[in-house]
Amino acid sequence: MHFLKPIIGVLVAYLLIKIGVPFLGSLSHPGTWPVVPTAVMKMYLFFIIAGAFVASTFSEEGYNGLIGPIVDLYGNPAKAKLRLGAVAAVSLLGTWVAYQYVKPSFDAPVELRSVHPAPPSSANMWGKSFELQTLKNPFREDKANFAKNVEEGGIVYYKNCFYCHGDKQDGKGHFYSAFNPIPANFVDVGTIAMLTESFVFWRVGTGGPGLPSEGAPWATAMPVWHTMLSEEEVWKAVMFIYEQSGVQPRVTATVAEKK
Amino acid sequence: MKVRFMFSHLKKMLSQRSPSAYRFGVALASLLVIPAALSFNSLEISQPVLKAAAEAVSVQKVWANEAAAAAAPAAEAKKDEKKGTEVWAPLAPPKLEAKDYPVVKGFNSRITVWFIAQLHLFFGAFVLAVPIFVWLIELTGVITKDERYDHMAHEFMKVAMTGFSLAASFGGLLSIALVVFYPQFMLYMTGIFGKVMIFYALAFFAESFFLYTYYYGWDKMSDGKAKTIHLSLGLGLNLAGVFLMMVSNSWASFMMAPSGLDDAGVFKGDVWAAINGHLWNPVNIHRFVANIAYGGSLTAAYAGYKFLTAKTAQEKAHYDWMGYTSFFIAIIGLLPLPFAGYWLTKEIYDYSQQMGITLMGGAFAWLFILQAVLIGTIFLSANYYLWCCLARSPGAKRYTFMIKPIAIVIVTAFLAWFTPHTLVMTSKEVTQIGGAHHPLLGKFGVMAAKNTAVNFLIVLTFLSFQIYQRSNKRAVGDDFWATNGTSVQIGLYVAGLANILSLGIYSYYLPASVRIGLSVPQVTTTLIVIVTSFILDGKIFKKSEEMGETQWGNMPVRSQYALFTLTIGFTWLMGLMGYVRSAIRQHWHVYTVFRDNSPDAFTPTLPYAASVVTVIVCVFIALVLFMFWMPMLAAKKGSSGEH
Amino acid sequence: MEATKKGNSELGKILGYSLFIMLAFVGFAKFGIPLVIPELPPVEEKITGAMTQDQMVAMGDKIFHGKGTCTLCHSPVGGRAPLLDGVATRAPERIKDPRYKGKAKTGEEYIRESMKEPSTYVVAGFGKPGTNDTVSPMPQIDKGAIGLNDVEINAVIAYFQKSSGLPVTVPLPTGAAAAPAAGGAEAAAPKPAATAEEAFNKYGCVTCHKVPGIAEGGDMGPDLTKLASAAGSRKPGMSGEMYIIESISTPNAYVVKGFDPDIMPGDFAEKVTMSEMNLIVKALLGKK
Repeated sequence: MHFLKPIIGVLVAYLLIKIGVPFLGSLSHPGTWPVVPTAVMKMYLFFIIAGAFVASTFSEEGYNGLIGPIVDLYGNPAKAKLRLGAVAAVSLLGTWVAYQYVKPSFDAPVELRSVHPAPPSSANMWGKSFELQTLKNPFREDKANFAKNVEEGGIVYYKNCFYCHGDKQDGKGHFYSAFNPIPANFVDVGTIAMLTESFVFWRVGTGGPGLPSEGAPWATAMPVWHTMLSEEEVWKAVMFIYEQSGVQPRVTATVAEKK
Repeated sequence: MKVRFMFSHLKKMLSQRSPSAYRFGVALASLLVIPAALSFNSLEISQPVLKAAAEAVSVQKVWANEAAAAAAPAAEAKKDEKKGTEVWAPLAPPKLEAKDYPVVKGFNSRITVWFIAQLHLFFGAFVLAVPIFVWLIELTGVITKDERYDHMAHEFMKVAMTGFSLAASFGGLLSIALVVFYPQFMLYMTGIFGKVMIFYALAFFAESFFLYTYYYGWDKMSDGKAKTIHLSLGLGLNLAGVFLMMVSNSWASFMMAPSGLDDAGVFKGDVWAAINGHLWNPVNIHRFVANIAYGGSLTAAYAGYKFLTAKTAQEKAHYDWMGYTSFFIAIIGLLPLPFAGYWLTKEIYDYSQQMGITLMGGAFAWLFILQAVLIGTIFLSANYYLWCCLARSPGAKRYTFMIKPIAIVIVTAFLAWFTPHTLVMTSKEVTQIGGAHHPLLGKFGVMAAKNTAVNFLIVLTFLSFQIYQRSNKRAVGDDFWATNGTSVQIGLYVAGLANILSLGIYSYYLPASVRIGLSVPQVTTTLIVIVTSFILDGKIFKKSEEMGETQWGNMPVRSQYALFTLTIGFTWLMGLMGYVRSAIRQHWHVYTVFRDNSPDAFTPTLPYAASVVTVIVCVFIALVLFMFWMPMLAAKKGSSGEH
Repeated sequence: MEATKKGNSELGKILGYSLFIMLAFVGFAKFGIPLVIPELPPVEEKITGAMTQDQMVAMGDKIFHGKGTCTLCHSPVGGRAPLLDGVATRAPERIKDPRYKGKAKTGEEYIRESMKEPSTYVVAGFGKPGTNDTVSPMPQIDKGAIGLNDVEINAVIAYFQKSSGLPVTVPLPTGAAAAPAAGGAEAAAPKPAATAEEAFNKYGCVTCHKVPGIAEGGDMGPDLTKLASAAGSRKPGMSGEMYIIESISTPNAYVVKGFDPDIMPGDFAEKVTMSEMNLIVKALLGKK
């Protein structure tokens, strides 16, 4: 059973990458299961198999041990049935691989894209131009009516946003599983906590179609809200999601310097 | 002294009027004509064409650049002042338009030049490398008084002889193609390097002289003082070869990183400044080292073919030995090659950060994944050949247990090396990973991990080599080194690898600018491990005994295929890197100075370049078969004459 | 005969194997890694006097993200160079820094100087290694491969100023003569004014202002006939020319005492072409 050794070796390596890597990755990013992307996995496997082959065939015994059973299987008249089985297995494997390639899939095509696109300097909404660099939430300054404004933002949120972004702001609203990529999770520190309010205002206002041409095509179902909500409603909703998810909007150096 | 001695020897030889000496003289004279004619081809013929092109251009007013026009009277005045001294008018890069590029029906200008230049480079690299190690092998033969080395050196030279005329033919073809397809560009280049080009052409005569005296005088000058002369001829051949390579490198490096020009890109006449550019020496070193590795791998493939078709056991043993020696040369060149490459890349960054980022982070970032795969293939096949070599040594059984761990570490290091920085994933995988950044694999994407991995690859390849070296020896001395040397070596390897690994992990947490600096101690560690361990081997086996006769020729067929993989990998990689070296200039003939406005100025995509490179390599293989077939043809005729 | 046959079949095997390996490499290049199509060589952008200020800002944006190759380094990825968000707001502070070695007096001059001589001020932590932040790794933008001309550099500065929320003050491109030739496709656009008088009438300046050379004029806005002497001293550190450009494109940046803000329309930056702006500035400064 000499020929089983390299095969077991390859299997162990495969499992290490298939399960070990996501496991280690999930320790540093709890809640995710960071699999090795298929494209990388294929290359890994190719070189692991090549390495296993090379490491077990450098000596004559090793070579015969690995190749011998195969030669025996295809050449030995006594093993006709087994041979038939092997040929069938190989053909079926080939069929399966071919099928995997050609079967219709609903996955979006493989893409390279940045998570937070660079915002444009200005955006056109409600028929006017907003300078995103200097734009500030007009309701932030109004300390007296803060609670009232947030509450009004909450009404806007529950009327429009909550179906996807969820009750807990975690991106798991009623429809979330229908979207790919899933709706943004506001509680995660990687989303709105990293962004300024003006950036969020722009993303809400112009939605998916407003994303920059670099990195296109974009896969997002975010609607263009400025055609459906008023400027004030969007600002209040933005304030609400920050307030409700318990994170602070990012303050850029420019804004800080001006204070 | 030596030169006079050499001439007197030649005179004596020719004056003997013996038939063989006469034949030698005629052969020498007639064969000198060919390279001379070829050297003429490469420049003398092209000069009138250049002149004609120059006249055509002056009509098109390409020369009427304002700076040049304004400076011309000044240069004229200068000429009057100092008669006899040479005066170079300031030369500004012309601004070309699409109509300045001739269109020859049936030819795509860029692909034609690309083809010819790459083929010229393949043969040039081969014939520059072969004399270097032939000379070293010959010297080894003289020192060890082992006749076999001398014979092998002679055979290598025989294999390379046709390569010289092929390299020269392609050189001539290249200069003509450049003049035909890119006349303005060549006009500009001759405007700057014209003076050097003349010396370049003249050096061909020196090269030819040394080549033919060296090769055809081999048997005549076989011992005593004559051998010394022969070795000096070989040295002359190598010096001429290196000179030729460095001069032509200076043109390529000038195109990448122009020097000797003022801020406006005007050339003021200092040719040396133009030659001694920022990238000249890095390119020289990188090409020199790569040539040796490449030349070694090509002769290894030759030996591999001869081994597979050998009829007698004796022949088999000879070609096995030849294959191993060639392979050894290739590895000597291969091990320092990544460092030479890193140095070149660092200098590219230093010269122009923009060019550096275009190379490593921009459009070509993915090319380096492909390069990593190729280098991985080369390293894996090299190690495989070494492991197969263990079959020759009866004492190798003691070490076979180490091969699998080595293979595992090499494959792991290699996988880390080629993990890309930007991962390609489906949106489902993005969802699972929770973003575009992978928490674990992302760590392998940066330079810290890649440097560590490549140092591991090199150290372990050297370990494979060292295992083979000692596989048939047993130390019989009873001093400290003979008894404890191996333990010291093991400690050295473990400490070295641990140091490389911890430096890699530590540097991961440093900012990018500091991180680059840490690759130096990593490389130093690698070198210390290799050199010290090699010296220790000498001490351990000062007194040693063989554990049975080395069985040359006892090699499996698949080991020879490892050699072919190595050769193909090398050749293809050279073609690919030729593409990227040229492509990072983007839409410039001479980077930042002389814009390429031809319809072909766009940068081709990677799959397109890969296909072109493959076709070029196929043509090259066909020509190599011709090159290898020539000496066999000569041998056949010789043998039939004897019968 | 036998030997030759063996040699040939062996050779065939080797060649087949070699071809197989090479095809594997090509296959990997084609299918194993994503296709990146390198950008086409940049086309020279023509900035003419027929552009409005907003168009010039858009052009600056385009150059910044394209031809200027600025975002290779000035981007959040890699952190090779400082981010340029709001650089125009920071620029005046930089000049006051003791480490500053240049001659700039205004933020605009500082940005231009930083592009032409990057080492006059190196943001802490971004210098060449080992130079203690005295030498910048940035190339000179007006030289070499990037080689922007002065008008293009001005467009980039205009973009910085606009994106920092500051008024645009850069000098205007002249070259109005080139506009009609280039603007063949934009025949529908109104013809730019040829004289200052035409321009003043076209944009209705005289409805509110008294302007030099035109007798009639309103008094809703300040009297501009005396502006030639006053403009240079309105805002410290700002030339008369800069002040006028700023006041036309961003009227509320400085409101003359006795007049209310928000009266003058704020959209002139989108309407007035650069050549017209030039005519207006010259006329108001009393230059011919």
